[in-house]
Amino acid sequence: MITVACYNLKGGVGKTATAVNLSYLAALGGAGTLVWDLDPQGAASFYYRIKPRVKGGSPGLFRRKRKLAAAIKATDFPRLDLVPADFSYRNMDLLLERQRKPGTRIRKLLKSVRGQYQYLFLDCPPGISLLSENIFAAADVLLVPVIPTTLSLRTLEQVLAFCAGEDYRHLRVVPFFSMVDRRKSLHREMIAQRSGALEQALATCIPYASEVEQMGVHRAPLETYAHASPAAGAYRELWAELQRRSAAR
Amino acid sequence: MQKASIYPLGGAQRLRHWRDRLSAQAGLTADPLEQVQITYYDSFDGRLYAAGYSLEQTHTAAGAELRLLRDSGRQLQAALAAALPVSGFPADLPPGELRRRLEKLLDMRALLPVATLQVRRYPLRGVDDEGKTRVRLQVESVGLLDGGGKPRMLQKRLLLQPLRGYAKSARRLAAGLARDFALETATDDLYALALAATGKRPGEDSGKLDIQLQGDMRADAAARHIAARLFATLQANEAGALDGLDSEFLHDFRVAVRRTRSLLDELKHVFPASLRQRFTAEFAWLGNLTGTLRDLDVYLLKFASYRAVLPSELRPALEPLRTFLLYKQQQERVERLTVALQGKRYHKLKQRWQRYLDAPLAKRPVARDALKRIDRVAHRRTWRTYKRILAAGQAINADSPPGELHALRKACKKLRYLMEFFQSLYPPEQIQVAIKALKQLQDNLGDFQDLEVQVVSLRRFAMEMRRRGEYSAATGEAMAVLLETLETRRHQARDRFAARFKRFARAQNQAAFKRLFRPAGGAKTS
Ligand SMILES: Nc1ncnc2c1ncn2[C@@H]1O[C@H](COP(=O)(O)OP(=O)(O)OP(=O)(O)O)[C@@H](O)[C@H]1O
Ligand SMILES: [Mg+2]
Repeated sequence: MITVACYNLKGGVGKTATAVNLSYLAALGGAGTLVWDLDPQGAASFYYRIKPRVKGGSPGLFRRKRKLAAAIKATDFPRLDLVPADFSYRNMDLLLERQRKPGTRIRKLLKSVRGQYQYLFLDCPPGISLLSENIFAAADVLLVPVIPTTLSLRTLEQVLAFCAGEDYRHLRVVPFFSMVDRRKSLHREMIAQRSGALEQALATCIPYASEVEQMGVHRAPLETYAHASPAAGAYRELWAELQRRSAAR
Repeated sequence: MQKASIYPLGGAQRLRHWRDRLSAQAGLTADPLEQVQITYYDSFDGRLYAAGYSLEQTHTAAGAELRLLRDSGRQLQAALAAALPVSGFPADLPPGELRRRLEKLLDMRALLPVATLQVRRYPLRGVDDEGKTRVRLQVESVGLLDGGGKPRMLQKRLLLQPLRGYAKSARRLAAGLARDFALETATDDLYALALAATGKRPGEDSGKLDIQLQGDMRADAAARHIAARLFATLQANEAGALDGLDSEFLHDFRVAVRRTRSLLDELKHVFPASLRQRFTAEFAWLGNLTGTLRDLDVYLLKFASYRAVLPSELRPALEPLRTFLLYKQQQERVERLTVALQGKRYHKLKQRWQRYLDAPLAKRPVARDALKRIDRVAHRRTWRTYKRILAAGQAINADSPPGELHALRKACKKLRYLMEFFQSLYPPEQIQVAIKALKQLQDNLGDFQDLEVQVVSLRRFAMEMRRRGEYSAATGEAMAVLLETLETRRHQARDRFAARFKRFARAQNQAAFKRLFRPAGGAKTS
């Protein structure tokens, strides 16, 4: 199982849109795929029309071994399942602190589903916390959407600095440009320059597009209702490029 | 995927009738009719089936999809939104998980269609207030497309598909259905349904050798039984060899020919002499006729490994060799194999051989050993051949000419065939051990001779390619590097012979052969 965490310190950059659209494409391509909606706001669960509720909440997940597997729900799409968000996730840090080996608790939890799926997508809440540390420890790929602005570049550098530690050597941090508006000269320049940490960014950019915003109306992955749109094409290309990258490692 | 429940639908009611009734009764949302054509594939010898896999290609309005499954179709291993390439070779699929898995399972074999189903289905869904599907029910008919225009109806049924995490919805719907329909424990595995309808197992017709003999059989009856099995294999592989579906058809065809020749030769005094002479010549003709084509098949199979010995910048320069081999292969197939297998001589050979196999056994046969017990004949022949090999092998030293190793290889092949013909007369474990010991020696001898033949052929090809102007300086260099590597390997194989033979001839193995084959009371022969 390859674990892809859609993560950024910053909010509202397209993490959830990425997790939802790429997980759909992974399953469409034939891979058994699981999404875990880790954000108490439950946006990914909402897009997949699944009620944001886990029996026993996060305390239950950590207490019993088979709870995570029991929380899995089939989406409306073949090969694609989801662990819903739960309001109790907002206290995740407090809960994690009380566990043994608090920094790798989620990695341990995931062992129970490893054999069942080829891909796991984690839709992460913004911020940096004990939960994020757990995510860095559990993920193989940290997929970071970056809006091309100077401030975003700085947050990306903060993330990279944090992940540079010994504990996360297995982790591949993969940034890409998200919500790109080609009419803005700053966006164009930043993409052309790829300075500093952006050097390793994927070639594919996700454009700013109203079709993506409409995911909230359709409550479904972009591919299912706007296959022909440039944004859907961009997600397909992003997924292909990411697979090529992980195959090349 | 969770296990589905199946409810057969009797009567002549149309699918639409059931759809309307169920959607009204259970408050289910109906989706438009789906038509799916599912074709199952396997190699001629049923490799996927034997390993517990199935490969299906589904055709819907949305396009084609290939899926590799396990566990009676319940566990998806890999999928790809594409149709199978016309060649049937996994190597011609786009790179990815599916191709990797299939290449490993099938090796050099091509995929051929096993059965095709036509499924018509009305999907029904139980949907919650979020618009989320919680349970799926299908009203469907499954038909087999077996050549005719209209599918043969196999089953009309309801299929309840529970979804992970929504067990309660499935249970509730099942309870409702139980009032009106009988639940059948039958399989939801459509492949099993298709196979049951065709009455065939993949690989069943590939003519794999399975010879069952009794020790007290008349030798001529046993020999004829073996010959008939070999002839069945030959015929089973004939069409595929002609079409060149994959290299193994011709290979198995040739092995059947060689085994038949060996049988005629080894059981000299069991067959009537005149018959033996005539058919030995005919089968030899068939063997020689196909030799060049088989060699070309082998070089093409090895091509990837040829490329691999070259430094990466030289690899493209070897492509002209592949083109040349493909051209020669095509030429051999069309100009020799096809002409011969569609010609009179082959037709007569088959007809006459079949006539002999079908004829009643002679009451008073002329052949000396025809009436002997087959186990006696088998012991004696095998034991003699074995002892000849031991003596010949021991006489070979580091300076012996290659011809001696080639002769030994031939003798080993004969021994191998004898052991395979008569396998059923011996305790399975003991004979397997002996075959394995022999096989290791054969591998070494085979490597040595094959490499020699390859070097000679490739040199000749190089000359021919140069004549035809398909030979750049880079290609010349690539060929030179390749030939040098093959030469080195040939020497290595030659060097390894002594150790391999010593291993084959070690006391423990000798004792095993003795136990199996030394004729009873034959102490003087040892
Ligand atoms: N490429 C895009 N073009 C236009 N709108 C987008 C695009 N990507 C995301 N959006 C919209 O921007 C908003 C934030 O996106 P999203 O929820 O994916 O970000 P996020 O990083 O997960 O946010 P949060 O930090 O709140 O979890 C959403 O309303 C979404 O529809
Ligand atoms: Mg989000």
